[in-house]
Amino acid sequence: MPDLQPTCALGAPKPKTARFGVLTVTENANLALASVALRRDAGAPDLPLPGPGEWIEAEDIAVFWIGPDQWMVEGHGRAADDFAHAIAHRALGCSVTEQTDGFAAFEITSDAGAEPIRALLEKLVNVEAHCFTAGQATRTGFHHMSVFVIRRADDRLAVLGMRSAAGTIWHALTETAGRLEVTA
Amino acid sequence: MTRLSGGLIDRSRSLSFTFDGKSYTGHAGDTLASALLANGVRLMGRSFKYHRPRGVFSAGSEEPNALVELRSGARQEPNTRATVAELFDGLDARSQNRIGSLSFDLMAVNDLFSPFLTAGFYYKTFMWPRAFWEKLYEPAIRRAAGLGSLTHRPDPDGYDAGYLHCDLLVIGGGAAGLAAALTAARTGARVILADEDFRLGGRLLAESNPLEMPAPEWIAGIEAEFASLPNLRVMRRTTVWGAFDHGIYGAVERVSDHLAEPGKRVRQTLWRITARRAILASGATERHIPFANNDRPGIMLAGALRAYANRWAVSPAQRVAIFTSNDDGHRTALDLAAKGVEIAAVIDARTDILSQGSYRTIAGAQVTGSRGRLGLRRIQVTQGGTSEWLDCGALGIAGGWNPNLHLASHHRGRPQWNEAAQAFLAQEGFVPGLTIAGAAAGQGSTARALASGAEAARAALEALGITAGLPDLPQAEDASLNQYPLWHVPGQDRAWVDFQNDVTVKDIKLAHQENMRPVEHLKRWTTLGMATDQGKTSNVTALAVMAELTGQSINQTGTTIFRPPYTPVSLSVLGGGDTGPHFRPRRLTPTHDWATSQGAIFVEVGQWMRAQYFPRVGETHWRQTVDREVLSTRKGVGICDVTTLGKIDVQGGDAGEFLDRVYANAMKSLKVGMVRYGLMLREDGFAWDDGTCARLAETHYVVTTTTANAGTIYRHMEFCRQCLWPELDVQLISTTDAWAQLSVAGPNARKLLERVVDGFDLSNETFPFMACANLTICGGLRARLFRISFSGELAYEIAVPARYGNALMARLIEKGADLGATPYGTEALGVMRIEKGHAAGNELNGQTTAQMLGMGRMVSTKKDSIGAVMSRRDGMVAERRVLVGLQPVDPTDPVVAGSHLFTKGAVQDTANDQGWITSACFSPHVGSAIGLGYLENGAERMGEVITAANPLQKQSVMLRVVSAHFVDPEGVRLRA
Repeated sequence: MPDLQPTCALGAPKPKTARFGVLTVTENANLALASVALRRDAGAPDLPLPGPGEWIEAEDIAVFWIGPDQWMVEGHGRAADDFAHAIAHRALGCSVTEQTDGFAAFEITSDAGAEPIRALLEKLVNVEAHCFTAGQATRTGFHHMSVFVIRRADDRLAVLGMRSAAGTIWHALTETAGRLEVTA
Repeated sequence: MTRLSGGLIDRSRSLSFTFDGKSYTGHAGDTLASALLANGVRLMGRSFKYHRPRGVFSAGSEEPNALVELRSGARQEPNTRATVAELFDGLDARSQNRIGSLSFDLMAVNDLFSPFLTAGFYYKTFMWPRAFWEKLYEPAIRRAAGLGSLTHRPDPDGYDAGYLHCDLLVIGGGAAGLAAALTAARTGARVILADEDFRLGGRLLAESNPLEMPAPEWIAGIEAEFASLPNLRVMRRTTVWGAFDHGIYGAVERVSDHLAEPGKRVRQTLWRITARRAILASGATERHIPFANNDRPGIMLAGALRAYANRWAVSPAQRVAIFTSNDDGHRTALDLAAKGVEIAAVIDARTDILSQGSYRTIAGAQVTGSRGRLGLRRIQVTQGGTSEWLDCGALGIAGGWNPNLHLASHHRGRPQWNEAAQAFLAQEGFVPGLTIAGAAAGQGSTARALASGAEAARAALEALGITAGLPDLPQAEDASLNQYPLWHVPGQDRAWVDFQNDVTVKDIKLAHQENMRPVEHLKRWTTLGMATDQGKTSNVTALAVMAELTGQSINQTGTTIFRPPYTPVSLSVLGGGDTGPHFRPRRLTPTHDWATSQGAIFVEVGQWMRAQYFPRVGETHWRQTVDREVLSTRKGVGICDVTTLGKIDVQGGDAGEFLDRVYANAMKSLKVGMVRYGLMLREDGFAWDDGTCARLAETHYVVTTTTANAGTIYRHMEFCRQCLWPELDVQLISTTDAWAQLSVAGPNARKLLERVVDGFDLSNETFPFMACANLTICGGLRARLFRISFSGELAYEIAVPARYGNALMARLIEKGADLGATPYGTEALGVMRIEKGHAAGNELNGQTTAQMLGMGRMVSTKKDSIGAVMSRRDGMVAERRVLVGLQPVDPTDPVVAGSHLFTKGAVQDTANDQGWITSACFSPHVGSAIGLGYLENGAERMGEVITAANPLQKQSVMLRVVSAHFVDPEGVRLRA
């Protein structure tokens, strides 16, 4: 283990969390990420390969589509590992790139089922909230930034954006969730 | 005036409000306009140009006259239409555009000068003396413009934005809209019904008996069903204000405009609605008939009089007259009479018209004048050459109805005149997926509106493959208008067409005389339709008057172009609430927190906040700090966060070939474990961006870009990959944020790094200049090391996962204490790169070439690359300006970037211009200011003294032309 103390994207040693009524927004500092792109003559990687707009959770990882022949692999709780190296072994001959600290991840959970997540989505990103159901993921604009939005479950949503803009993303998420709490 | 009977106000709830400081009482369900009328207030504003007294003219969003300032302090909002301002307890409103009181406006003197303020006066006056324009005319015009005033204080309210998607968007909640929404929502399709009013129903609320049952009863039943349909979203207080491409509509929901203070709620929300189909059921706006002095408070649209009586139970006067050219005016008279209002007369321009009630009807007559300084007292009626004066406190004018076709025309649709309807009708198809129903489509009776709304919804859903049945609709009135075309009453006195911008029939005649006859010219010359109401009550009338003058048909005259917004939209809500520090994304470097703890001063670099310099106790000027950082780095070791440079991971079997094509110089030949400086050209051959290209493995490169071009270059490379050369096996992905990258520069750089790497051999032999490697540091942390130098010193850039940026920075400073380790910011970085003669954004400004940079030979002739051929154009090759160093002859003289260079003694003009200074700084190494610049034949002029002219600051400085490398020109240090 390195003898350096990592910092979370929001600048604190520990991830931030905030609750707004039935919604909770939490910084997910332990999410490891690696991108995988198929090379011309590469074999099929030992990974689930979801289609456009899809997110699949497997045993130890989750994968979502980010472009033609390109995916992002998530490793929950594995940010401290050399995750890309591990994924490269499962994607021999593919282009694998470490992306763990390329993004700041925020997990949003609802205590009241899908409806608060749908209402939040409407205020966050231009996706068809009613159709953006569990197992879907997309890249979209968000407050002049580009983010990945993943519907992990009816009551769970994740937003992944530039790590350097974590503060801006946090502000936008918590402002919006806070306003929903007021109008709920 | 006291209240009438009935109405849809809640008399059990009284609301207090003030207007111009005086307290009044209204009821829940009132608008400010209806409440003021109920309190006997007819005078509500002053006109824009002549400051004529004005009262409420309409009962909806088309209102041209009753504009007020709402609220006070930072929440003060000018130009709010009293007709749509929902009354709330504590509402504070003031009249605007006046000096003095509303009843005694000193600016009313303008009315006396009206002969000088005619059409086109903007273009004819204020021409001389010229000097008066800036000091007098423009400030005076600006003060007069805009009607209401701003407080210039920050808006304390929150605004936000959102996105909605639906199968069908129904715009308007009147008879047609309700029928459409009901038809569609019953199928289970996703439907949005948006209406600008706070209550659904539209004109159903304004009529006495439009349906077989009381209209509020039918609406309540519909609303109950709506509430049970989860697939239907009803958006009250929501104005759909623009139709955009791809089925996207802009809408503003006034979330808390009807509350005294929004509390934690947003004030308004900007919605972007993506609809597969849409129905425009926006109703129609009544038009008036201009006659002499037709602008007095108390003169209003007949349909508005009826709405005030039926919905808000109020009449502006006890004795009312009606001037009509259709049957609708009689309807108003009947409704008012039924409420106990005395009808002075119905003046109908048509002949052979019989009275429909027990009041006087004057057929074949016209209203030819009015009296009453601050409110209508009497009207002049002329019939067959005989005139009489009738006493009345209000006059309703019924000149026909104009369909609200704005949104259907937002894609440059040109409405067509329909003789039968005596109105412009929108051409369907201009906004793909949008159909029109109800009065907006010329289907003005309630029965036809209901039927057309339902049918429009059925047809729209059918196009989406959804079958809808038509609902049972109530029996409804189906009266015809029997419109007689009367566009204005001829006369010598001023007859207003556009009330808000004070445009009269005379002005239109003048525009005609002055050949401003096309409608677009008419609009600009007279300012007709250019006010906040965008001429909703005036445009068609003006077109008809112009048609009459030119002898063309109304259709030939045509309309002006319709553009969003349909009604005014606040800039705050368009901004979506992102203001101040949240105006745009703010990106922080991985060492931001550490730098903050060290008291760094930050500077915005695009979206990034970078540490500019790190002041220490006792340093009183930023130059002291920067000089220290530079000298410490050159003497010991300096550390700077350079994460912001773009990093792009390039992998694949053809990665080398791909990079050979995007870089001017060769990259395929780069050895694994080495780095090469790279230059990219634009297609036109000019220099675009520079950076480094590191080959980490046979098929794996990492390239860096400048901070400014990080996104642009990545996008360009993706374009090349996807569109230009899809046959290449290459994959790209940005890794800018993933790695914290620190520059470690200075003679002690190696010693410092040796203290953190895990047994990695940093010797010159193993890891020479321009080497790169993957390694671990600090007990196993994966890292990348590049031996590259931007400062001219022995230097490295070390990259670790971004989460370790703060910790690594702290560790390097701690470990290097005895080596003189010093953090440095972008200022010192800039100074050192100028001292070394490295190009940056100032030199790569889009107008310079590789040859100018002294890198002409880097553009390889052994391979093709983007921009290579174009860089060999005659004009490019003939360019003689090259990058040189510049040093003042007198060391105390300044060197100012942007100064132009001239041969000593030459006349300083464009013909003799020989280049310019691109970058300048004070060099603590040299001991004077220095600069870089492009100079004609610069390479051959070393040692020559030239002149740098800075006419803006009246400076002229003697500079000596020197090598651009002020530090270590032989490159010994960086290879040490």
